[in-house]
Amino acid sequence: MKRNYLGWTVSLAAAGLMLPLARTPATAQDPQIQVTGKVITPPGAVAPKGLPPAGPKGPVPRMPDGKPDFSGIWNGQRALPNQEPPVMLPWAEKLTAERTNNYSADDPEARCLPGGVPRAAPYHYQLVQTPKLLLMLVEGNIHTYRQMFLDRREHLKITEPLWYGDSIGSWDGETLVVDTAGFNDKFWFDMAGHPHTTQLHVVERYHRRDFGNLDIGITIEDPGTYSKPWVIQRVSSLETGIEMSEYVCNENNSDVLHLVGK
Amino acid sequence: MRSILLTLACAAGSLFAQSSAQYLPQTPDGKADLSGVWVIRGSTDLPGELPYRPEALELWQERKANLSKDDPAAYCLPNGVVRVTSLPYKIVQTPQLAVVLSEGNTHSFRRIFLDGRAHNLDLEPNSWTGDSTGKWEGDALVVDTIGFNDRTWLDDTGKPHSDALHVVERYRRPDPGHLDIQYTIEDPKFLTRPYTFTRTFVPANREIQERFCTDQNRLVGK
Repeated sequence: MKRNYLGWTVSLAAAGLMLPLARTPATAQDPQIQVTGKVITPPGAVAPKGLPPAGPKGPVPRMPDGKPDFSGIWNGQRALPNQEPPVMLPWAEKLTAERTNNYSADDPEARCLPGGVPRAAPYHYQLVQTPKLLLMLVEGNIHTYRQMFLDRREHLKITEPLWYGDSIGSWDGETLVVDTAGFNDKFWFDMAGHPHTTQLHVVERYHRRDFGNLDIGITIEDPGTYSKPWVIQRVSSLETGIEMSEYVCNENNSDVLHLVGK
Repeated sequence: MRSILLTLACAAGSLFAQSSAQYLPQTPDGKADLSGVWVIRGSTDLPGELPYRPEALELWQERKANLSKDDPAAYCLPNGVVRVTSLPYKIVQTPQLAVVLSEGNTHSFRRIFLDGRAHNLDLEPNSWTGDSTGKWEGDALVVDTIGFNDRTWLDDTGKPHSDALHVVERYRRPDPGHLDIQYTIEDPKFLTRPYTFTRTFVPANREIQERFCTDQNRLVGK
């Protein structure tokens, strides 16, 4: 099944890395929000715009060896409000502006190419965890997977740069730290078109706060594009009683016909 | 003397059988462990003759005659469940779920639910990979799949199926170095009777590689 791409423009913009006009920034006075990586929603209050509602309460599920188990179907990662924008080198600033001003017409994802890391989609993803592997199954934009290896400490020697890089994970207490390198420079970080080079290095910190909520802290390092590391805090909540659909981008991809630029 | 030798031989035989069984990988809960990166041994084409109804046979002949020009794989569409490539597959197995990761053709995944759920086609009544539920019968994992569309091909030659396709796969590891999958295909619209065949997979001895059809396919995007 192929879903309407343009239909999620607004929700994708709300993912935080996106077009500033489509997002309603929360103010520092907003009592619902603490910008510390945790979203606090008082009882009866509505969750901040652009964020998924808090997931079900309960203790963190555990693997037989006591490590947190991230397995489950999670809704698309949303960036917390009030985060610092990236500091780009001049070429990257110019290119991002060009891409944004051209209505993202050249977005690789709209051509059914992989989203790369750490591009967020508004679709669900499923985490499947074994002692040796954290597997991310992505509903869309392309229906693919990403392997995060928990049983080795060194990156592979990458001869051909990859869309999803080489991901290795290790435990820092309750947090899984996933280190990824070996990327190609083809994918965009978001619809705004934030670029990167093959020097890209991404560190993701996955922390299951409780049964229903997953915090993801992301550090993007790419000295070829950004003059300092770009830090993003995101959250996903657990989906229960819902299944992922089979999103096949290449099935009747009508979106690309509409992406004509200026 | 002869009977003693025979007894000894039998004892040795049963010991051997027992010890080789112990080497079969198992999960902590005692199920056969099918995990690994596997690659098909032999042809990817379906063997023998499928008991096609005349109109289905005609469709297959037509696809062969026009040199597979409408092959969904050439458009980076999923291969479905029966059609396989000569590239490796990885099985990731947990007690509740088995996932089949394919290197090609679309570098996608297929989930086999092991948590006892019934088929549910509410969300996707007709999908490329269908709805797969699995249960254990001894050391065999029996996977039942329905809910297909009629767009996948059963093999590279273009053998067709309808949306009434029902596939039962029996996954079994006869020894550590082999994975056998016995397929039983039912399709009352296209087949006059069920068709059964078995494929053997062996360890690929490497990790699956990133291979995106849309990145490499020069047909797409024109």
